[in-house]
Amino acid sequence: MTSQARPNLDQLLAAWAEARRLADADAARIRQAVLPADPTLSATWWSDFNARISATIARATTTPAPALAALQ
Amino acid sequence: MTTGSDDAAVFTRLFDAHRDAIHAYFLGRVADPELARDLVQETFLRAWRRLSEVGPLPADRQRAWLFTVARNLAIDSYRAGATHQATEASLRQAAATRATAVPGPHLEAEYGERLAQLEAAIRELPEEQRVILSMATAGGLTSREIGEALGEPAGTVRYRLGQARKQLAAALDLEEDR
Repeated sequence: MTSQARPNLDQLLAAWAEARRLADADAARIRQAVLPADPTLSATWWSDFNARISATIARATTTPAPALAALQ
Repeated sequence: MTTGSDDAAVFTRLFDAHRDAIHAYFLGRVADPELARDLVQETFLRAWRRLSEVGPLPADRQRAWLFTVARNLAIDSYRAGATHQATEASLRQAAATRATAVPGPHLEAEYGERLAQLEAAIRELPEEQRVILSMATAGGLTSREIGEALGEPAGTVRYRLGQARKQLAAALDLEEDR
């Protein structure tokens, strides 16, 4: 766009729309604000949760070999 | 059966498909860009909460659902005190600065000045024309899509868009070529 070529209405409206359009950064902020605002648990959350708990319990209750040897 | 990540993906597709149209509607309706963004967020928050209902719909019915929510939110925002007069006053105060600042440093001063004039002229449009103009330009919607969203015949949308363009062309001393 140069000062010699006077912009027509379509060009001005296109520039106005571009300036006013929702910026990608704003859109990303809105999307991020919405998604965590209402966290929906997945359908498998209970089995996932149980699996993590079971693994933790198993790790915590498994007696290490050196400890077993010391007990015997 | 869906997982949380599936839902997020469905929502993202919905959001990306309709965010510009919904934002353009609010931009024309409430004039204040910050309020428009807040209302976009509220619209999609409601969509997220009803995703199992809205997500599977075809795109045109998703848009219809979203615009029903958007229209109600715009009405609620007026009632809640974000009045038409207040947003208009806010826009008038900030418009000149934004119009010259937003397009970017590459624009020449003359072009920025013309954009500021356009912004001022758009503010003077009747609301129903401003909404349609915003949806057509910033939202990229066709007259038929705008008509479906607003519950107006496409012919009425085209007429109002034509009226808006004439008024803008006159305000900017431009020849309207359509």
